[in-house]
Order: sequence, then structure tokens, then C-alpha cells
Amino acid sequence: MAEVRFDETIHAPVRLRICGLLRQVDRMDFALLRDTLEVSDATLSKHLKIIITAGFASSAKEASAERKDARRLTWISLTPAGRRAFDAHLRALQQIAAPDGVPQVAARAPQLRFEHLHP
Amino acid sequence: MERNSDATRRDAAIALSTLADDRSRLAARIRVPWVLLAALGGLAALGVVSPAIANPGDDYQPPLVVGMAVLIGVIIVGYLIQRGTGIRFRTMGVAANAALCGVVATCLLLFMLSLALVSLELRWTLVLTGAAAFVVTTGLARVAYRSAAKRLRRG
Repeated sequence: MAEVRFDETIHAPVRLRICGLLRQVDRMDFALLRDTLEVSDATLSKHLKIIITAGFASSAKEASAERKDARRLTWISLTPAGRRAFDAHLRALQQIAAPDGVPQVAARAPQLRFEHLHP
Repeated sequence: MERNSDATRRDAAIALSTLADDRSRLAARIRVPWVLLAALGGLAALGVVSPAIANPGDDYQPPLVVGMAVLIGVIIVGYLIQRGTGIRFRTMGVAANAALCGVVATCLLLFMLSLALVSLELRWTLVLTGAAAFVVTTGLARVAYRSAAKRLRRG
């Protein structure tokens, strides 16, 4: 049976959105991720650092002949652990959101608030 | 308690909806530069017209150098498309894979047709097979990326 687990690291709105986008691809450029989420560099960096520290994502800077500064392409991808954690978290959300949602899941996530999802 | 439960359910639904919105926004941002799609078409055309430099018959030597150049070119253009779009897909989906298979099958058929035309001393007609390869590859590569974007939107 597929795992259903509410993850506090992924739970934060911006981090949930980051994982949601990265889950769809093998890897994504930092700038595209930032522009799609419509957040600042600093905000994205801060949340990425937390996700990477948790072992849920990894980043790799790409060498470039024309760019030797911080504007080099930075590829971000979810790790296998990150994909598993996001999938389990997504299933938990789906259970909570279902009309006959599983009360136990909701009870384990009493502070589930997403006011900041729509800036 | 009931009110809290309803709020939690509503917030979870909003979170799921936001994820779907993000996917749509990302899919809308995927634009593969035309010049790179045309480059793929050009490489396919180069491969298809390569029999022009071959000598069909008993001493036929396949144009391996051209084949290698096309292969390396496809890898480079693929990499440039990744850089241009900012995305590397894990899988592009059934429709996109079907389109890419269509490209390979069509180019193989056109390559064999080119060989046959060269053996009939109709080398000038390779302009037509090359043009067909260019159009089919450019068009189907575009279809493949659009299909991958559509798949990404669905999640």
C-alpha cells in the first residue's frame, strides 16, 4: 500500500510548490523555478536550502564558457527520498481534501494552513 | 472541532489546486526555440541526403562519418533545448515518444528511398527527400514538446 505521510518540511507552502514542480521533471533551472513560482531569488534560495538540507533535493551548477559568475545555470532536482516524501505528503493532502477524508490524517496535521499560497 | 476540520479540508484542497496552477504556469512557459527545432530538422535532412556521397552497389560503404556527425549534432541540440527551456523531462509521455518514433521511422524510410534514388542516378531528387525529412522532423519534434508540456499540465 502506498505510504501516506504528512511531512513538516514539505508542508510549508513555498516548499510544497517547489516540490510539486520538481516532481514533474528530472531537473529544472533555478531561474525557471523562480519565475514560475513568482518568488524572489532570496526566498527560493532559503526554501531550497531547507529542502536540500533535508535530503529531498539536490542542486548542481553547470560550467559555462560565457558565464563564470553566479549567473551560471543551476539545476535543481528532487532526490529519490524527496520524491517519496512528496508523494506521501500529496496522498495525505488528497485524503484530507476528500469529502469523506480520513480524519486521522487531518488530526495529525492540525496546523495545516495555506494562507500564503496565493501571494 | 467540525469547523476546524472543514477549514483543514478546504486548505488542503487549496494547496492541491495551487499545485495544479503551478503546473499549468510551468507548461505555459515551455517554449522550445524554433531555431533549435529547425536544427533538428536540418540534422535529419543531412542524414537522409547522406547517400548522395555514397556509391550504391557491391562496393557500397555506408556514410558513417555523416551518421556520427548527425548523432553528435542531435545530442548537442538536445542539450541546447534543455538549456533553452530550463527543463529536463524524466519522461515525455506516450504521445511524445510516438512522435519521436515517427521521426525515426520516417527518416529511415526516406534514407532508404534516397539510397534507391541514388542507385537510379537521380541524385538531384535527394533535395525532395531531404526537405521531407526536415519538415517531418521539425514538425514532429514540435508536436513532441507540446505533448510533453500538455502532459506536465495534467500532472
